[in-house]
Amino acid sequence: MAATQGRSSSATKGANGGGGFSLEMKMLIPVLALLAVLSLFPFFYIIWMSLNIVSLINGISFDFAGLANWTRMFTDEIVGAAWARAALYFVATVGLEMILGIAIALLVHELVWGQNLVLSLILLPMFMAPVIVGLLGRFLTDSSYGLYAFVLRELGIFESDILGTASSALPAVILMDVWEWTPLIVLIVLAGLASVNQYVIEAAKVDGAGYLERLRYIVAPSIAGVVIVALLVRSMDAIRYFDIITVTTNGGPGNTTKIIPIRLYETAFRFFDLGYAAAIGLGMLVFSILVANVFVRILESRGLAR
Amino acid sequence: MTTSTTGRNTGKQVILYAILILVLLWTLVPIVWMVLASFKPGVAQLSSTPVFVFKPTMQHYVALFTGGNLGAYFLNSVLAAGFSTVIAVALGCLAGYGLARSHFRGKQHVAFWIISTRMAPIAAIVLPLFILFRYVNLLDTIPGLIVAYLTFNLPFAIWIMNAFFMDLPPSLEEAAMVDGATRFQAFYRVALPLVTPGIVTTAILCLVFSWNDYAFAATFAGPDSQTLPIAAAQLNTQTGLNWGQLSAIGTIVVLPMMIVGLAVRRYLVKGLTLGAVTGE
Repeated sequence: MAATQGRSSSATKGANGGGGFSLEMKMLIPVLALLAVLSLFPFFYIIWMSLNIVSLINGISFDFAGLANWTRMFTDEIVGAAWARAALYFVATVGLEMILGIAIALLVHELVWGQNLVLSLILLPMFMAPVIVGLLGRFLTDSSYGLYAFVLRELGIFESDILGTASSALPAVILMDVWEWTPLIVLIVLAGLASVNQYVIEAAKVDGAGYLERLRYIVAPSIAGVVIVALLVRSMDAIRYFDIITVTTNGGPGNTTKIIPIRLYETAFRFFDLGYAAAIGLGMLVFSILVANVFVRILESRGLAR
Repeated sequence: MTTSTTGRNTGKQVILYAILILVLLWTLVPIVWMVLASFKPGVAQLSSTPVFVFKPTMQHYVALFTGGNLGAYFLNSVLAAGFSTVIAVALGCLAGYGLARSHFRGKQHVAFWIISTRMAPIAAIVLPLFILFRYVNLLDTIPGLIVAYLTFNLPFAIWIMNAFFMDLPPSLEEAAMVDGATRFQAFYRVALPLVTPGIVTTAILCLVFSWNDYAFAATFAGPDSQTLPIAAAQLNTQTGLNWGQLSAIGTIVVLPMMIVGLAVRRYLVKGLTLGAVTGE
């Protein structure tokens, strides 16, 4: 839709009479300058930090260390394990959210009555502060007073302390994330489903195609782009946030939920090894830049970014 | 809405509602439980079997505001989230319009830089900002939090406003200029009012992101600038798991964002997919 627009604005450009910057650039450049201060400055600063041993004892001291932090990071087993755990956490949360989100969207799309109300209710968790979701998760799984802990105990499914047991802590924090963010996928996929051409669906019905066939040959290809956008948007946020784990297990028990941002945070603000934490942070930044890169390419292929 | 469903599939619809009721239970039980717990007297709170019938009390809310200093935290949250939202949206309108209506070499690189700023992992941004804030004395201040929130709200606002302005045909502004409007008037009087839904959506999403922040405030805020999410997390450790007060504070944090979030539901898809998908 946006494909035909934007280009023709060269016409407006001619109207500002030349001489110096156009109004567009006058509006753009100061704000980008501020953004540069907010983003590029910290970016170069964290690179510099990663090349130093940074200490907070009596003020801040930088001690140039070359690539010491970097070589240390690539041989650090705890960091390696935190990356592996982050990958598992990432695949499990985003994977479950995609599967459930698409399934729920397909169901909601078929509703005849109350579609708006059902969608509004389903969306509620995603407006919640992740830290409250984590605290609420703790409340529900509390071994003495928790509603969910009670239900699981009564059903004889699980008896021990859910967040305090190594085997159940990671699934529990994964489910909290899934609870909060599946609605986002439902919302995005529903927008994709709403744009599927109804005439093609009707024609396929007339030709005798069943629901699964229509899903496979008409719906799936039409919503593929939207599903990929949903995946990327969720992926980028999944590596941003670590609030839920911070307030539930904070990495424990026995490191079983210690994903890479948690490790970074304790390296920086518990061990005060800020230079090393900077190197870990840059590793994360590289990852998110790669995902953002794919996202922008997809936007371009959809004719939305120019 | 689908034209296929004309009532002949009532059986299917019943199954559909049955599954969706399960989905709604999974979604809503925690929220309802939290709100209920916030009105439960302390005794009912400490029962090992769930209590569903109780005499509602405001004691937890009262305790938070009288003994817990919650009013100050609430104000901090409003100031930090509010100011960063207003600044981000105002600047986002200017730059988003500039970006949508200009063409220059390397524009895609600028766009990529903006989006990757928004996507940078919080843990990686907090680190350099922490040191920089120490130098400029922004730690434990509301302006410090506003600056911290701008690191994600500003690129977000620029990007989304750009997407909304791109959907607007430039011919409208051109027509206004033919009628004698200056270039700036064409932006201010013609383009800007037409993207009002975009402005509102952007503002609400910026507000939600900064209001819900925990990581930045946990690192930068101190006694003078504590926000509600931090107060909630600290309640949990200091007073030995006061679930009643925790539920009350959780309700206070969560309900306003649910209301404003649903108010812009039509435009949420566009905002949350950074303009990649347009809803309805």
